[in-house]
Amino acid sequence: MKFMVIVKADANTEAGFLFSEPPPTEMGKFNESLVKAGVLLAGEGLHPSSKGARIRYDGTQRTVIDGPFAETKELVAGFWLIQVKSKDEAIEWLKRAPFGDGAVIEIRQVFSPEDFGPALTPELKANEERLRAQAAAQQQQQ
Amino acid sequence: MRFMIIRKADAETESETSPVGKEHEQLLKDMMAYNQAMLDAGIMRGGQGLKPSSAGARIQFRDGKPTVTDGPFTEAKELIAGFTLIEVKSKEEAIEWVRRWPASDGHGNVSLELRQLYELEDFEGVAGPELKELEKQMHASPDVPR
Repeated sequence: MKFMVIVKADANTEAGFLFSEPPPTEMGKFNESLVKAGVLLAGEGLHPSSKGARIRYDGTQRTVIDGPFAETKELVAGFWLIQVKSKDEAIEWLKRAPFGDGAVIEIRQVFSPEDFGPALTPELKANEERLRAQAAAQQQQQ
Repeated sequence: MRFMIIRKADAETESETSPVGKEHEQLLKDMMAYNQAMLDAGIMRGGQGLKPSSAGARIQFRDGKPTVTDGPFTEAKELIAGFTLIEVKSKEEAIEWVRRWPASDGHGNVSLELRQLYELEDFEGVAGPELKELEKQMHASPDVPR
C-alpha cells in the first residue's frame, strides 16, 4: 500500500530555510535508506507559502488569495510517497527520520483503483489506465 | 517552475465512504477529463488522492523521540484530500489551470492551495553531487491523480 508522508511547516520552513533542521547530510542518509529499501516513490520540498496562493470555489465564483498564510502549523513543507506493506511499516520508517524537537509529520494512505468500487466503471478504468500510460510516456521524455 | 495543487479536505473526503459510491462516477469522469487536459498540455507531473485521516497517523518528535497518534484528526479543513503536481511557466499560469478545477468536486465548493516546489537549483551551494543525484531520483512519480 502507498502512503503520503506529509512534513508540516514551521517558522523555519515558512522563512525559506528548507534545511534548517535536520542537517542535509542526515536527511540525505535517511532518503538513501528509503531508496535502497525500495520504499521511496517520490519526495518533494515546498517553497514557503509566501510564493503560493489559495483558490476558493463557491459555485461558479473563484476567489484567489495570494500567500503567505498565517496558520503555519496547518501548512505543508514537503512530502514523501512511500510503498510499504502496512501502516505500521510506514510508521516504523518515519520513526527513524532525523527530525528535531517539535517536528510533526502526518502519514496518509493513498487511494488505489480498487478503492473506488462501482464509481470506477470499466470505461473509466480503461480511460484511467490510458491516462497513466500517457503520463509515464511524458515522464520518460523529460 | 513546478507547483503542487493541494486539495483541502472537507467532511465528505474525511467520511469513510468517499469516493466509492455510484454517485461519484460524474466526479471521476470530470477529474479524468481535467487530468487529460493537463496531460495534453504537457504540464501534468503527478498526483494522488488520499484516504480519510482515519486510515493515517501523526508522528511528533520531542528531543528526537517519536510519539505516534493514530487518526482520524478532527480539523478537516487543515487536512489534505489529494494533490496534483504541474510544471508551468509562471504562478499566473498555474492559477489559470486551477481556476478550471472540475465544478463537480465538492459540489462546487472546494478550497485549493497552490505551492511552489523546490528545484535542484535551489540547493546550489548547500548540496553536494551525491545529494543532488538523490534529489533527482526522488522527483515525483508520473502517477495521475484520482
